[in-house]
Amino acid sequence: MVARAETPRWTGLGARQIAVGGILLGCFAFLVALPPITARAQWWPPLLGILAIGAGIWSLTRGARRPGWFAIAAGILGVGLGILATQASSGNLDYVVNWAPLFSAMFVFATPLTYAALGGMFSERSGVVNIGLEGMMLTGAFFAVLGADKLGNWFFGIVCAIIAGGLLALIHAFVSIHLRADQIVSGTAINFLALGVTGYFFYKVYGEQGTPGSISQVPDRPRLGFLSHIPWAGHFLYEVFGTLNLLIWFAFLMLIVSHIVVFRTPIGLRIRAVGEHPRAADTVGISVYGVRYAAVVLSGMLAALGGAYLSIGFVGSFNENMTAGRGFIGLAALIFGNWRPFGAFAAALLFGFSTALAFRLGQPWGNAAVLFQALPYVLTLIAVAGVIGRSIPPAASGRPYRKQ
Amino acid sequence: MDETPVLELRGITKQFPGILANDHIDFDLRDGEVHALLGENGAGKSTLMNIVYGLYSADDGEIAIKGKRVQLSSPHDAIDRGIGMVHQHFMLIPVMTVTENIVLATEPRTGGVLLDYSAARQRVLELSKRFNFAIDPDAKIQNITVGQQQRVEILKALYRNADILILDEPTAVLTPQEATELFAILKDLVAQGLSIIFISHKLNEVLDIADRITVLRRGKKVETIPREGATEEGLARSMVGREVLLRVDKTNARPGDKLLEVEDLRVLDDRELEVVRGVSFDVHGGEIVGIAGVDGNGQTELIDALAGLRKPAGGRILIGEKELTGASAHVRLEEGLGHIPEDRQRRGLVLDFSLAENIALHDYDKPPFSRWGWLNPRRVIERASRLLTEYDVRGGAPRTLAGALSGGNQQKVVLAREISRNPRVLIAAQPTRGLDVGAIEFVHKRLVAERDTGRAVLLVSLELDEILSLSDRILVLYEGQIVREFSPDVGEEELGIAMTGGRRGEAAA
Repeated sequence: MVARAETPRWTGLGARQIAVGGILLGCFAFLVALPPITARAQWWPPLLGILAIGAGIWSLTRGARRPGWFAIAAGILGVGLGILATQASSGNLDYVVNWAPLFSAMFVFATPLTYAALGGMFSERSGVVNIGLEGMMLTGAFFAVLGADKLGNWFFGIVCAIIAGGLLALIHAFVSIHLRADQIVSGTAINFLALGVTGYFFYKVYGEQGTPGSISQVPDRPRLGFLSHIPWAGHFLYEVFGTLNLLIWFAFLMLIVSHIVVFRTPIGLRIRAVGEHPRAADTVGISVYGVRYAAVVLSGMLAALGGAYLSIGFVGSFNENMTAGRGFIGLAALIFGNWRPFGAFAAALLFGFSTALAFRLGQPWGNAAVLFQALPYVLTLIAVAGVIGRSIPPAASGRPYRKQ
Repeated sequence: MDETPVLELRGITKQFPGILANDHIDFDLRDGEVHALLGENGAGKSTLMNIVYGLYSADDGEIAIKGKRVQLSSPHDAIDRGIGMVHQHFMLIPVMTVTENIVLATEPRTGGVLLDYSAARQRVLELSKRFNFAIDPDAKIQNITVGQQQRVEILKALYRNADILILDEPTAVLTPQEATELFAILKDLVAQGLSIIFISHKLNEVLDIADRITVLRRGKKVETIPREGATEEGLARSMVGREVLLRVDKTNARPGDKLLEVEDLRVLDDRELEVVRGVSFDVHGGEIVGIAGVDGNGQTELIDALAGLRKPAGGRILIGEKELTGASAHVRLEEGLGHIPEDRQRRGLVLDFSLAENIALHDYDKPPFSRWGWLNPRRVIERASRLLTEYDVRGGAPRTLAGALSGGNQQKVVLAREISRNPRVLIAAQPTRGLDVGAIEFVHKRLVAERDTGRAVLLVSLELDEILSLSDRILVLYEGQIVREFSPDVGEEELGIAMTGGRRGEAAA
């Protein structure tokens, strides 16, 4: 959006910057204890953490509430985790905290969430709550495998996934837009429907053996070999970005496109208008139903892409209920990211990182890993409860619109 | 003036389930005139205009614009033909900017895809300059005043090149100063070639602004008359269909004992800001004390605190001799407080309950309405039907759902319940909001009658007329404080200035 001077700039910005500094300090309190720095002295993390908490309190009292609380939280977490890390054996630390694979895995785990969150964003921005993302994702995952297997090419798999996801979303759209049913109930029904349909066809088509191992998969392209020639950071960059899957790159693309569409185009303005005040949109001649149908169907297609990435991009097979709640976490990322594409992406990265870390932690410290896997949910609860500045949904989200 | 009307309606008929909203209505709008559409609530004014704006489709009849017959099946059609409408409830998106709201659905683009915000902003600035609107194109709707929001609505129509502008009860949400400014704007618009339809149920403003006046009653057109020669009394008669007493007849107050006393009351709003900041006053039996003020100066929170719906942050509230500052709403009712709430639909009535149940809300648990924990529906209904007759509630039997009544009749039910409990102190918050002349007359008469039986009446209203004609003393509430006290013979001008903080010219800021 265009810059506007609503509040005197210097006050808001100053407190904000300090808070951001505090957040970084808090993270650093943890990082000093990790490779490659690996400070072993126990007083390092508390020192940095207390500075972070101080910065948080300072900015909190000067109006930057949300960032201030983030800084305080980062400080506390930084101290706690930092001290834990100084206690751990450096061999284990070196194994777990291997930054390049961690980041690479973060992208892998964040991608399905990103697709789901982007899908959810379009739907909710237009005023339809889409809790059926999970089911649309699962449907996408299954039909991607079916298409890739029967039609012989991953590309057709993706096409099948998008069509299936779009059709499932169409049901949700019809029930919640035309029939004005409760959108949560409809979405829940969609999830069970998807679970049943994919489970049934999975056994019908593949029986007990499961999907064949020879399914055409989405390639890990483009390979960015040139990255490794960059001096100093080249190896690291190549390890993180060099071999990412095509669908991960496509997710990045969709992220940017979504941001532009929602905030920089007339279409986006109309979608947001319909989600905030449908009657107002109606009176200037926008078709509320039309926009909502398009947005919901698009959300189904995006969620299905996330599913397709899971099945034919990452794993290479399908299992019953293989999405395992990722659609819901995508929705959580959307809420955590305040219904904005990059916000949701940042949340997805955070969730993806904690999942990646949990996988690595699983080797030396099993129970800590379980704790880490709960992190996304805890963060979402905090975001929704409004402890650190409430996330505000589109005003008409979840409310059916009745034409006059 | 051109002979062909810019807009002509012939025999417009619209049937809703159970009601004939428009019954063969003829209407014409001449080039460059302000044509007022006057009628009580439910007379069919808004329905008729929604048909013109393409939101409803008529069952029968035809519409011609500039002599050409047209089909208007969506707002889009209407906009294309130069019709703009400012709705009673603004159609603006609070979280978006003025510019975004104005250009919505007709956005300028760059490269065919992207929204050209700076071009949009530029056009809004030009329009706003041309019509002298003084609007910040980058302000968010939620941060500007209601008067400015209304100008944004007008700009929306002008941006779409409207030459016929429909305003649906535009002054309902405005302060007197803002209304005066609006009228100046409308005159300016007419001078620049627009034709305006002005929907209202307020007689004085219709006589102020309109060139011609069409009166509707129960879906039928009564008459169309020029302003010259029209009188408030005559218009009221055609609107209601009988003689209406426009001025409240009342004798001088004979104040008795002090029944309500408020001392240094402080109340916080939902955002925890102090919006009632040390208010002290008292109301004696047998007098009506009016609290005047522009909306949002702490009235709602003050009423809530008095009624026990919001905990005061400081100060004392006494009814009679008894301190009730921290008492629950229930205890206050027992002590003789009656409360006619601001929002009758959300706080006054349970719309999904029957009238009898609504009337029994306070005392369903006391004999004779219940005994040993058992309700006695027969008694509840008996009492209700007695009160419904006494308060002249039309269109409802004791078993009718409250939601099925018109606003005026709903308010009569609230009045019936609150007054029949025989309270010592009666708080009436905006008791006639949205009511039409007939119902207003009833409510006003009743409030004065209650005063005369010795009750203390606290009237909180945004309507200056109401405050002036009912009150025996007037207190002005501004930014949470009582800034002035007037006797009821104060001039409207002086009162209006006090309501906006004292000095002239500040109201527009």
